[in-house]
Amino acid sequence: MQKTQRELYLEVLQKLKQEGVLEDIVLIGSWCGQLYREYFKDDKYVPVIRTRDVDFLVPIPVKIKRQVDLQQILSDLGFNIVFKGRDGYISFEHPDLIIEFLVPERGRDSDKPYAIPKLGINAQPLRHLDLLSEKTVKISFGGVEVVAPHPANFALQKLLISGRRTKVEKAEKDRALAFEILKALIEAGDGASVTACYRRLPKKWQKNILAVVEQSEWAEMLSGLLAVE
Amino acid sequence: MFVVDVLKEELDNSLQMKENYERSLAEIPKGSLVRREIKGHGYYYLVYREAGAVKSIYKGKVSEAELAKYGVFKEKRSRCRKHLSEVNKQIRFIRKVLRAKDAA
Repeated sequence: MQKTQRELYLEVLQKLKQEGVLEDIVLIGSWCGQLYREYFKDDKYVPVIRTRDVDFLVPIPVKIKRQVDLQQILSDLGFNIVFKGRDGYISFEHPDLIIEFLVPERGRDSDKPYAIPKLGINAQPLRHLDLLSEKTVKISFGGVEVVAPHPANFALQKLLISGRRTKVEKAEKDRALAFEILKALIEAGDGASVTACYRRLPKKWQKNILAVVEQSEWAEMLSGLLAVE
Repeated sequence: MFVVDVLKEELDNSLQMKENYERSLAEIPKGSLVRREIKGHGYYYLVYREAGAVKSIYKGKVSEAELAKYGVFKEKRSRCRKHLSEVNKQIRFIRKVLRAKDAA
């Protein structure tokens, strides 16, 4: 019988856990919504619709100790290996899920993928991803503990990158996701984590986030939280 | 509209995936190894389809490694075809939904 998307996703998580990789990578992107539903289980948080893209952040320096053949593992689970971009970062495609590995981009803009020999893959470098691994939480999903960004970090990073998006619809999706999470944090009485995260950011980033918030209907609700000392 | 944007993104994903599966299928060497008994001895033929006709090429005695290699090709081809069919279904479904939304 054909596996459901959830079953396949869980199988991937279990395999990554078994290989000792899962604890050293961070789940980012819209699939975090599922985890935050667990995190905010008493506060009725409803995640925004997600796509098939499952993104994992590999924090730099890479902490993974064991040599793992990720291409073989995911190929055995039915994923097709595809090389994307000019220099070819790896994407694992299945009709139900698309898995990609990302690393924080530092220094000058570059299209070059980042090689992670321990996993036998090339990852895609992207800006502002450090913020997602700065503070993380462990959330259980289907019996597997997954590392995700703290919701405050996740939401502020989404607001930050929404201002850099070229596609309007992507920017709107980022903002919708961010504001729903910020609302859930406030309702859970954890607005302080948003303030703390915001204060740790560089001034320029704070300014960019504030500009996005001020143009939104959430400006009043968030103005108190996004204040510097 | 938010849901429509997500559907459009997924349509793009599926179209890209279709292209990737078709490319993967084209890269897999054609045919399967078939064993035939001739006068008590086993010989292998590479059997494949070309322009609707079944062709077979004599390969003679084949090593275990080559047999395993063709086994992997067969499995990969079957998986790619199955996934390509799923992706084609997704494309038809998303296009139908987007057309219905435009008509509404």
